[in-house]
Amino acid sequence: MRHDFLDRYSRLGSPIHRLPTALKLLATFSLILATVAVPFSSLWFFVVAAGLLLIVAAVSAIPWLFIFKRLLLLEPLALGIAVMALFQPNGTTIFLSIVTRSTLCLFTVILLSNTTPFENLLRALGRVGAPRILVTILALMYRYLFVLIDEGERITRARMSRTFSTNRVRRWQALASLIGQLFVRSTERAERIYAAMTARGWK
Amino acid sequence: MTVAISVQNLKFRYPDGKEALRGISFEIADKECVGLVGPNGSGKSTLLLHLNGLLPESLPKSPDVMIYGRALGRETATEIRRDVGLLFQDPDDQLFCPTVYEDVAFGPQQFGLSEQKLKVAVMKALEVTALAGHEHRSPHHLSSGEKRRVCLAGVLACEPRVLALDEPTSNLDPRGKRNLIQTLKSIPSTKIIATHDLEMVVELCSRTIILDQGTIVADGPTHSLLGDEQLMLSHGLEKPHILRHLHPH
Repeated sequence: MRHDFLDRYSRLGSPIHRLPTALKLLATFSLILATVAVPFSSLWFFVVAAGLLLIVAAVSAIPWLFIFKRLLLLEPLALGIAVMALFQPNGTTIFLSIVTRSTLCLFTVILLSNTTPFENLLRALGRVGAPRILVTILALMYRYLFVLIDEGERITRARMSRTFSTNRVRRWQALASLIGQLFVRSTERAERIYAAMTARGWK
Repeated sequence: MTVAISVQNLKFRYPDGKEALRGISFEIADKECVGLVGPNGSGKSTLLLHLNGLLPESLPKSPDVMIYGRALGRETATEIRRDVGLLFQDPDDQLFCPTVYEDVAFGPQQFGLSEQKLKVAVMKALEVTALAGHEHRSPHHLSSGEKRRVCLAGVLACEPRVLALDEPTSNLDPRGKRNLIQTLKSIPSTKIIATHDLEMVVELCSRTIILDQGTIVADGPTHSLLGDEQLMLSHGLEKPHILRHLHPH
């Protein structure tokens, strides 16, 4: 099975894709930092940032619809927090501030992850001096996310082939046991991966 | 004759109480290729993990496994792992790096090879396994056969003197299987192959060890062992087709 929903467009050949990874990483970090730190009263900054991101998106040739859908998928998390701000005094401004900032940050990260293959990002992170253990964890996470999804799909399919009722309670029960099973299988796999790493000299 | 692997009265019990190995002894000579067969749960994989010092979890003070004359103990385990290349049953367990190149380079990197030598070793391993040109692909985009070959390349890049293979042909299509057998034939190192693929054993291994319930029930020339229908059936195996049509002249 192929999974590319995470970084489907990361291997296109646009000028943005061809930029050095370290540069993109640096730009992303600075932009996010600035987006979070600049006071909301300096509206011009957010307009410029948004304009910049839109230009990058246009040059990178990633479909707009894809970016929009991805934003829609991730936004609710930030929105949840923003809505809480509405109940404070001066809530509307805080609400708008949070929504703007989070949207810009998400937009930035979506662009980065879809213009740079993940393994290049990892390598750049390592070179910039990110802790080795962190890079290793990220690499393993990216690698096994797909294996885990495959495993989940296989379990679901096997269950579906023997599911004959449409009872909703049953279905929730099945889901709970699926999650449990995935967890157990993952721990077992983690042990085997560790053995495989040790077998090739990992200390 | 140089002895590559020597195992003396090896016993192992899993933490859940299952007795996986009940006193196993055998020797394998340098450059020998030995098939390890037996029904499911007979202890084949467990035995292979012992050859690499991955089991038992705390290595014993009085070692029961010797690799090229060196006892496998706490101090020697790291070096011995370099001598024994282990191919795991599930390629997904073994391919833990983001790209093919990095995965094949993982082993040699741990041994501290220079960047230059590392590249040579990786390219050579990829060449042997017919994977040249696939360096930058991600493991999750590879087919089962390709995954298996990358795993083998990762093991070969460490230049082990012993290859311990766990079910190398499972999940492979006939062509993948044929290619793998050809590749294995071209590698001169000592080999021990745990498998249910008896046709491969006939083709690759001059000697076979049959394991059942944690003990060695037979150890001898492949043709006479696998050709013994009675013996095979009594241990959950069967006489391979190839041998049915081979007549003594």
